Amino acid sequence: MALRVLLFVWIAGALLAGFLWAPTVENLGETTRVLYFHIPSAWIAVLALAWSMLHSLLYLRTRRLEHDDQAAAAAELGILFCIGATASGSLWARAQWGSYWNWDPRETSIFFVLLIYGAYLALRSAVEGDERRARLAAIYSAIAFVAVPFLMFVVPRIYATLHPSPILPQQGEKTGMDPRIRWSFLAMLVGFTGLFFWMMSLRVRVTRAERRRLETREAGA
Amino acid sequence: MPPNGSSSVAAVWAILRKECRSEWRTRYGLNAALLFAVATLTGVSFAVGRLPDRTDLLSALLWVVLLFASLASLAHAFVKEVEGHTLTLLRLVASPTAIALGKLLFNLLFLGVLEVVTVPLFLILMGGPPPRWGAFLLVLGLGSLALAATTTLVGAVVSQTRGRGALFAAVSLPLLMVVLAAGVSGLRAQWDGNPIGPDVRLLAAYAAAVLGASVLLYDHLWED
Repeated sequence: MALRVLLFVWIAGALLAGFLWAPTVENLGETTRVLYFHIPSAWIAVLALAWSMLHSLLYLRTRRLEHDDQAAAAAELGILFCIGATASGSLWARAQWGSYWNWDPRETSIFFVLLIYGAYLALRSAVEGDERRARLAAIYSAIAFVAVPFLMFVVPRIYATLHPSPILPQQGEKTGMDPRIRWSFLAMLVGFTGLFFWMMSLRVRVTRAERRRLETREAGA
Repeated sequence: MPPNGSSSVAAVWAILRKECRSEWRTRYGLNAALLFAVATLTGVSFAVGRLPDRTDLLSALLWVVLLFASLASLAHAFVKEVEGHTLTLLRLVASPTAIALGKLLFNLLFLGVLEVVTVPLFLILMGGPPPRWGAFLLVLGLGSLALAATTTLVGAVVSQTRGRGALFAAVSLPLLMVVLAAGVSGLRAQWDGNPIGPDVRLLAAYAAAVLGASVLLYDHLWED
């Protein structure tokens, strides 16, 4: 309970800081502020994918359904944040680059991540039986885990990027980012990560409760 | 089944022979796939006409035709076992890995036959410039290997779900984007006289990675 309140206050504070305290960047104007939603969402989309794949592999090793619950919950939330990152990025691209969608490498890779999430969830919805669903979804997840790194090599070969360079400084280079923007952004990043894990724990608890209810009903019948 | 090497190879070989024989009896899968490939090719050809100097379009369209034909047919190897209720018997006589490897070899052979018919027809109908055969076949071969490895694993997974056919294409596609991108870029490079090294390496690495992961995952395919 205390953690939930802290999370709420934290995100509200980071939002206020981002909109009222942090300045905007030259040339970008007010569109700077997409930073506080867009990058944390994209980060969660990738984190959720990694989390889901990790738990899929753990499921194949241990055969404990808790790992499958984690993998499924992470994928469901991941697709949500992924859509958030794609939509906010697309709006920003419209404002800055003049078009909503241009197959920029970043757009291409996030689209690919969306496709994998979609395929994974479509596969899950088409399998009957908890064990079998968990096993087949985990196999798919493992093979997607192998495919994802290749995209980083293949996408830049096709298109050049206009996307702003990553926030973290390259070696020996200064970001030149205003510290107020950086702190607001980092606070949002932490807030989003907390939000993701909190939402996921809720989702996992709901799944477990549903399973228990089914079990008791079957036991009663 | 004892897990020693020679009998596993024998099992894979037996599965492959059994696949070829049962396919040859009806030829239903191959006929459907060939007709599908030719229909796609005709559609593409009617839609855009001859493209003698557009190597970018030619490479993309060739892969689209091949991708369509394989997505329409490669799940067949597993789906027919499920629909004919023969999978249980098959699992009694061979290990999951032997079954999957046998099916993978069969799918590769299937894809090869498909390409022997489709690719020359494509080159003739679309009026493309003569390819550099060595490079052309290398890109095509490695791309087919990656395609077969991916679709065999996904086919085995999808055959155990509801709505197998529809799901197969949707679920395979995200995994095939890399093959598609590198394959198109490689074919284009060989037509334009550019080096194909990077694309060939990418295709080979992807095929090896998917094959390696598949061999580890095949054991988990059937348990109930």
